Amino acid sequence: MKSWGPPLLLLILAVVLYFALPFNLAFLTRILIMVVLVLSLDLVLGYAGIATLGQAALYGAGAYAAGLFAIHVWADPVAGLFVGAGAGAMLAFVSGLVLMRTQGLTLIMLSIAVASICLEIANKARDVTGGADGLRGIRMEPVLGLFAFDFIGKTGFWYALAVVAVVFVVLALLSRAPLGLSLRGIHESPERMAAIGVSVYWRRITAYTIGGGIAGIAGALSAQITQLVSLESFSFTLSAEALIMLILGGTGRLYGAVLGTLIFMFVHHWAAANDPFNWLFVIGALVLAVVFFLPKGVISAPPAITRLLKGGRHAGS
Amino acid sequence: MNRFISAALLAAISTAVSGAAFGDTIKVGVIAPFSGPFAIYGKQYQEAIETYVAQNGSSAGEHEIEFIYKDVGGPNPDQSRSLAQELLIRDQVDYLAGFTFTPNALAVAPLIEQSQTPTVIFNAATSSINKESDFYLRTSYTLWQVSAPLAEWAYDQGMQTAATTVTDYGPGIDAENAFKAAFEAKGGKVVDAIRMPLSTTDFTPFIQRVRDAAPDAVFTFLPGGPPTFTYTKTYNENGLADAGIKFLGTAETEEVNLQGLGDDAIGLTTAYHYSGDHDSEANAAFKSKLNELFPDAVANWASVGAYDGTHLIYQMVEAAGSDGPAAVQSALGLEWESPRGPVSMDPEARTLVQNVYIREVERDAQTGELVNREQGIIATVGDLGWTQ
Repeated sequence: MKSWGPPLLLLILAVVLYFALPFNLAFLTRILIMVVLVLSLDLVLGYAGIATLGQAALYGAGAYAAGLFAIHVWADPVAGLFVGAGAGAMLAFVSGLVLMRTQGLTLIMLSIAVASICLEIANKARDVTGGADGLRGIRMEPVLGLFAFDFIGKTGFWYALAVVAVVFVVLALLSRAPLGLSLRGIHESPERMAAIGVSVYWRRITAYTIGGGIAGIAGALSAQITQLVSLESFSFTLSAEALIMLILGGTGRLYGAVLGTLIFMFVHHWAAANDPFNWLFVIGALVLAVVFFLPKGVISAPPAITRLLKGGRHAGS
Repeated sequence: MNRFISAALLAAISTAVSGAAFGDTIKVGVIAPFSGPFAIYGKQYQEAIETYVAQNGSSAGEHEIEFIYKDVGGPNPDQSRSLAQELLIRDQVDYLAGFTFTPNALAVAPLIEQSQTPTVIFNAATSSINKESDFYLRTSYTLWQVSAPLAEWAYDQGMQTAATTVTDYGPGIDAENAFKAAFEAKGGKVVDAIRMPLSTTDFTPFIQRVRDAAPDAVFTFLPGGPPTFTYTKTYNENGLADAGIKFLGTAETEEVNLQGLGDDAIGLTTAYHYSGDHDSEANAAFKSKLNELFPDAVANWASVGAYDGTHLIYQMVEAAGSDGPAAVQSALGLEWESPRGPVSMDPEARTLVQNVYIREVERDAQTGELVNREQGIIATVGDLGWTQ
């Protein structure tokens, strides 16, 4: 029961933020969308140990799929989420067949390449995607036929929060299921897992595909709520920022991913609003500080502080 | 006693209320890149806005004007949209301004349509933007506006064949279409139309292709900054000028980068709506105030777009305060003397009608600096791309 405490606290925090910052709903919704993306990265990187810098490829695939589906087929948001998830998962599966055969630096380079290829395809297919002008004209129907998207973004917020909650619960269950445990095992020692008869390659593809589906959901959410998909959704910056958020919060823990995203986005927003000219400095300092003082991310802060308070006495260790 | 207090209170409240009505503050949200590789745009805008405020005071009519700056980073429509949403909902701005990149400007169309917010585009130059909402007003230019007159001028000068080399994205394709349409309408022939990827750093293959085709001129559109340096250098190194292939451009020799181009730039011919070298009182006043406030500042098209945009906002605020539709209505057909020359706001396309000058880069004998010397006005036109 104890493990459900932190996520519940985060849920309450989201509701509190809704009432505390009623004029910033667009920003809060962006945070929620990023949380979904960072959670997908946490599954892939934190649990399965697949070092990727191309998560934006899956996010963008979901965003364009959901956007095009809404324009040409059916503007229902929930159906759009499934389409986005499908597109993300499919791209992850197909690219995963190649990517998961590699390790380390090669894998990182290849994952960046996949995202760049997607970016270039979206740029060239101007008739379909709108190219550099972005995919516009997305008009969503009300969520479940009941809640229309409004100008201030109330519906968008609750819709995104509901999706975050569902994704979180699914991932929490998954991490306790045999698949999650075997992924952890693969992360710790692939050789040993192979030795006890686990097909490491296929398990990694499964994890990457599920992560792709979730990243696709994040992209679909973004397409539906901002009613716009741009080439930026395939950009390297997005992949890199998601990775920074995850490292900031702490990998391998679901609420670490949430916390990292919250902190990064808030500091980013606050710094950019206060000094639109030099705010990048603050972000740099924050990341450096976390990497130096809390190498395991912000979620490792409580134990680190306890250790500091006990001071010097390395009881037994 | 009680009655006295309540009377005093009433008086205080009524002055406060009427004071608010007459001395209210109109907020203008400026969305532009202030960090990263495109930060120069934000800097140019901010300096121009502050120059205008220093010249004309911070109030228009009965209203105080306040500018709120937001950093969009680069071509990033998602961010542009959420910043606009934040400005409209939380900061309660009555006007939006800025917008360097076409996608960023397009992204806010549904928002300004819904909230009826006049939005002044300082730069984004794709014609179609203004069709998305009646609340867009543009104080820069469109690619058709400068490229088509350039093509006609080139043909009149005796150039009969041309190649086009443009960067492969929205504005580049706009420029290519405009040049080609105008050049071929005159009877000229575009022998090769090359689209170069946005991230190109080595232009040799493209320049070589142009050289092999041996046209009379090469028309080019580049996104500004580093590509311009490399392109002009490659143009010279491959001996295109000596082979008699004339360089025709638009924004390539803009003032901020011009000195950096060095002697390679001398002789480059461009058609554009603003030259820092433009000889007029308004331009001299603008430049001297700009340099008084910011000694290192260089006036270019981005500054003059923002300067005229600020002027337009002041005029709209004075005429209509925070009433969006009335403000746009008051701006249509407005005429004024800009640092670039006489301009007026086209009531239909909501883009400036302005002079297009043909210029050639030369070294100023007095200052030793490179300048875009205006050779004459080749056209006075509105947005030629509006009806395309």
